[in-house]
Amino acid sequence: MRRVLLLTLLAPFAVTDAALAHHSPVMFDQTQRLTLTGTVREFQWTNPHSYIQLIVKNAAGQDEEWNVEMAAPTYLYNLGWRPGTLKSGDAVILTVAPLRKGGNGGLLLKATTAEGKPIGRTPNSAQGASL
Amino acid sequence: MMRGAAFTAVLVLCACTQQAPPIDPRVEQFARLPNWSGIWLADGLEAGIDGFSVSRPPTLVVQAPGIPWNESTMARLQAELATNPGLQVKPAAGWGYPLMMDGAPPLQFVITPEETLIFNTYRDLRHVYTDGREHPPEADRWPTTWGDSVGHWDGDTLVIDTVSVREPNKYFGISAWLSDQAHYTERLRMVAPDRIEGEMTIVDPATLSRDWVVKLNYKRADGLDRLIHDAYDNDRTGFDGDFYTIKPSNAETPTAP
Repeated sequence: MRRVLLLTLLAPFAVTDAALAHHSPVMFDQTQRLTLTGTVREFQWTNPHSYIQLIVKNAAGQDEEWNVEMAAPTYLYNLGWRPGTLKSGDAVILTVAPLRKGGNGGLLLKATTAEGKPIGRTPNSAQGASL
Repeated sequence: MMRGAAFTAVLVLCACTQQAPPIDPRVEQFARLPNWSGIWLADGLEAGIDGFSVSRPPTLVVQAPGIPWNESTMARLQAELATNPGLQVKPAAGWGYPLMMDGAPPLQFVITPEETLIFNTYRDLRHVYTDGREHPPEADRWPTTWGDSVGHWDGDTLVIDTVSVREPNKYFGISAWLSDQAHYTERLRMVAPDRIEGEMTIVDPATLSRDWVVKLNYKRADGLDRLIHDAYDNDRTGFDGDFYTIKPSNAETPTAP
């Protein structure tokens, strides 16, 4: 009985919290979604994660910089991204899971151009599923 | 005219009687081996744009459902979950074995008569010796992150026997909590030009209540024609005392413990 109970307890973690990068995603609040509309300051095509440094206007109309974490270049390459996919000054709309502790940071879940055109492709095996 | 025809006949006769050069036995050995060239992804674990999203839970992580842990391992897990509910773990430089065999990083198999190399984009590398050698004597080996592997071909199925794997979670904390004494047997076979299937059986009385069988399925990567390796040139994972976080760009903040 004890084993059954613990497996029941563990199962949700297995689906929602299994890390597939070099660190755990617990730092991001996967229950939340933020939409960031802004301009790329820098696209960092780097290991172990890539980043988009995005300039976003806050409620007061002031520029704020956001740190948006992405997958490593290998995974992005597989999805059609390239080092030159984003350039400084590009206008984009990013959907992120924000940092659990707050602050201008998040995990990238979706990226489109300002016109709403998807950037890269969705993995064939990951459609509709997310840890 | 007659003399020309006779000369041609002699040439043909010579060509027919000339012995073909002997074929190098190793070339024949290569010809008998399967061709698994290309880049492979664990089916269902093709990572999304975030590097985390996949379509099924990975099987070889400590939180995977259905692992036949024994009572003492279950007790350790409960204790860990009580203090670390999300099982937040230390960042790792790679995936290690066995996790690399059911993870997101793309894999490559290089098959030769003497050994098969299995490696991924994080440079996790396995040598599977198929030249008939056995594991080194126990006194001459020690646990390592990728273990010691020997194998053989059962028809077109690669059978791999792996021992001396250091506790996998010591390298990558999300890995299953197996002991140094775990014994791994894999069977892998190409079932279609774009698909390799098999299974891994893990025997580890120190942590498991019975044999643990894990399915291994791979498909060809759609978007990759080569493995891409790189160092961690921009590790911005910081630690705020409770959670990992993103260090500001080009800023010096405390690194993860």
